[in-house]
Amino acid sequence: MRALVALALLVCAVPAFSQTLAITNARLLDGDRDETGVTIVVQGGTIASVARGGAVPQGAQVIDAGGRPVTAPLSAAATQIGVIGMGGATNTEDSAATSTVLGGAFDISRALDPDALTIQEARAQGVGKAMVFPTQRSGAFGGAGALVDLDPAGPLLKERQAALFATSSGSTSGGSRAAAWSLIRNALAEARRPADPANRPRDDLLGPAEIEALRPVLARRIPLAVAANRTADIREAIALSRDFGIRVVVIGGAEAWRLAEQLAQAQVSVVLDPLDELPFSYESVGTRRDNAALLAKAGVSMAFMVSGQTIYLSYNVGAGLREGAGIAAANGLSRGDALRAITSGMARVWTGKASAGIAAGAPADLVIWDGDPLEPSSAPARVILGGKPVSPVTRQTLLRDRYHPRRSDDPMPPAYR
Amino acid sequence: MNKALRSLAEAALALSLAAAPVAAKDRADAAQGAGADVAASDYRPLPRQDMVLVGATILDGAGRRLIGDVLVRDGRIVEVGAIADAGNAKRIDATGRWLTPGLIDIHTHYGTFLLPQSDSGGDWSDITERSAPNVADTAIEHAVRSSDPGFSHALAGGVTTAQILPGSSVLIGGRSVIVHTIPTVTLAQMRFPGAPQGLKMACGGNSVNEGTFPTSRQGQIAGLKRALQEAELYLAKQGGGEKSGRKPHGPPGGRQGGGEAREATLAAAIAGELPVHLHCYRADDIATWLAVLKDFGITRVTVHHAAEAYKIAPMLARENVCVAVWPDWWGFKREAEDGIPENAAFIDAAGGCAIMHSDIPMLGSLLNIETAKAAAAGRRAGLDIPPERAIRWITSNAARAIGLEHRIGTIAPGMNADLVVWSGDPFSVFSKPDLVLIEGAVAFDRSDKSRRPVSDFELGRPQREGIE
Repeated sequence: MRALVALALLVCAVPAFSQTLAITNARLLDGDRDETGVTIVVQGGTIASVARGGAVPQGAQVIDAGGRPVTAPLSAAATQIGVIGMGGATNTEDSAATSTVLGGAFDISRALDPDALTIQEARAQGVGKAMVFPTQRSGAFGGAGALVDLDPAGPLLKERQAALFATSSGSTSGGSRAAAWSLIRNALAEARRPADPANRPRDDLLGPAEIEALRPVLARRIPLAVAANRTADIREAIALSRDFGIRVVVIGGAEAWRLAEQLAQAQVSVVLDPLDELPFSYESVGTRRDNAALLAKAGVSMAFMVSGQTIYLSYNVGAGLREGAGIAAANGLSRGDALRAITSGMARVWTGKASAGIAAGAPADLVIWDGDPLEPSSAPARVILGGKPVSPVTRQTLLRDRYHPRRSDDPMPPAYR
Repeated sequence: MNKALRSLAEAALALSLAAAPVAAKDRADAAQGAGADVAASDYRPLPRQDMVLVGATILDGAGRRLIGDVLVRDGRIVEVGAIADAGNAKRIDATGRWLTPGLIDIHTHYGTFLLPQSDSGGDWSDITERSAPNVADTAIEHAVRSSDPGFSHALAGGVTTAQILPGSSVLIGGRSVIVHTIPTVTLAQMRFPGAPQGLKMACGGNSVNEGTFPTSRQGQIAGLKRALQEAELYLAKQGGGEKSGRKPHGPPGGRQGGGEAREATLAAAIAGELPVHLHCYRADDIATWLAVLKDFGITRVTVHHAAEAYKIAPMLARENVCVAVWPDWWGFKREAEDGIPENAAFIDAAGGCAIMHSDIPMLGSLLNIETAKAAAAGRRAGLDIPPERAIRWITSNAARAIGLEHRIGTIAPGMNADLVVWSGDPFSVFSKPDLVLIEGAVAFDRSDKSRRPVSDFELGRPQREGIE
């Protein structure tokens, strides 16, 4: 087994803090490139230069990566960090509303809590950006998801109402998938009509707030995310994108490999869980571990979410994503595609545009790993967000240090340590 | 099993399932002090031939790493090291590959948390009989659907032995069963011959009820003591009290019914024949329960989930208690609020018996990766945990917890030839089991479709066309 180097990275001390940071001897991995001996110079919050053997500016704070991998931070394409604090504690749980009144107008961003431990832990695990989505508890629409940025120096919320979430499952729409699709199609049709309240038919199902929430979908400004695992449901999602000319993102997509060509052709993206292998429900009978590899081969745009029966989804989102990417890479997906699916893939899926990556002029968001980032046994050695190293101290590391075996002879109880 | 999963699995169990009757044989055996080793097994080894695995990097499960050969005859390991003469044994070149004991998963719900999940009531979830806080007279083997695709999935992940446990919704949940992961038609055909059963108990949140007893942790302890006192009386009546050399605690506060099968099961635990598997997360809960169990003479205990075991690791090591954990689960409920990834490593560092378990089917094929994560967290905390040490967490330590340490879990002469040939370092996500042997027979071969079991469920489904 490859030796894991202990956590301490050589930080050549320079005056306490300087605006310029240089990461030397990095192995740069961004999905396309795999280059060693790279120097990344950061000024303020921005990458100033990326060059093999590049010079270190005078007075810069230097972090010697020691040949270890450096990537962009992880991006979680679907998670609930920041709206789930502690499982089972309802006063820390805002991921869903059972109200049928709000429907698509439910805006998860209003509940975001930057102090949630799920945020703290995700950041320490190397997550920089995420789509926080609402849980579906009623109707066909779960509400709007929010894009978040975990740089502790800035606001958590990056873009509210960045996608609208719906489900093809009939369970919240009266017991039939047909009802769910009818509600989704009807809502899009009603929202497409001219915005003249005086002339609206009296039997419209949507109120003004929901119509407002659907408009950006029809304008192709944001995608409609549809939870679908079964082949027939994914086929309906593709039809929806075609019939209404909207951007659709399939969430789940356990059987998406069976429609890989059609998804690619319709430019429907997929957010899938690469740890799916078992038929967990009758909707995912055709699940397989090389789903991602088959989608990549067909050119489908994708990113990963890793649920682990909801344990990884929000509590271990960073580690879960890397494990998922590692499993996908072990099952036919190229290492580059696997890395993209947990870094730049999220932006491409949700905004349609690639993120800036590791290049001069891009935001200085970087992670130095203590080993292969696709190995679950690896961990971040250093997380840099907005040009600054993020504190590695979390509630978990404090518990670790308090109860470390080397302290077992401490006569004082842990509360005094 | 975590609460979210429990509610997912059991919410639809509105129908009260009739408690399965315990076989008269069970009761008789328990009364005779043989309660831990009961029902017959119809298991037969798969067709096999003697073989010698040559040149592998061996993690022997006992703490050693060596490069060498393993000779297998008649389903047993007969020689380990540099083997000059393997006779007519089939030679398998394992050069550059890794060899470990078959993995052992001591916490699963295969066949009872049935895949795929659906909402058709009792057809898919028989995890716990929930009609009383003490259902020690139930045995999970009466509910296992052996064609659950989870079994073959685990086998392909290198698991050769699994314990199926009752769930955590009640205090005393009944008897477990230990199986080989070879999918068969009946449970009896999977049953590990001669393997002891275990007894499931559950502390804390999952087994606290609203409205019906017990509604609190203190109520749980009262209920536990009452059940154990009844078992002691039963044991005394059978003469077992003398055998254990202990005096019973005296009359219980009140009988709660259930017949003698419950007492017999708990009596077997008191007599040391039925290892106890205790679902428990918090350090305070674990300490409280262990003290009560010890007071009644029950010391063969494995604590499962144990998110806070690291806070009392030296005590757990002293009490000789095994601890089965996940590497990184935290926060999904309040009892797991303080979970840290160094948990297993700290238990190990204290000289304790650390184990990794799956609980959910998805993790059943990832035990090696679970271990890799937990060991790496320990190394980052400055502890020395090489692969030959970490592998014990899913082999010999797990065997010890289920009372099979003399038969499985290590690669040594005389042990069952339950072996996994890995394509590389088993703690890398890029390595896969190439070959899985159970009692010397090829139960899984990644390169041979005829040795890759497919469940009845998976047959004839259009969605699975093209899936190898």
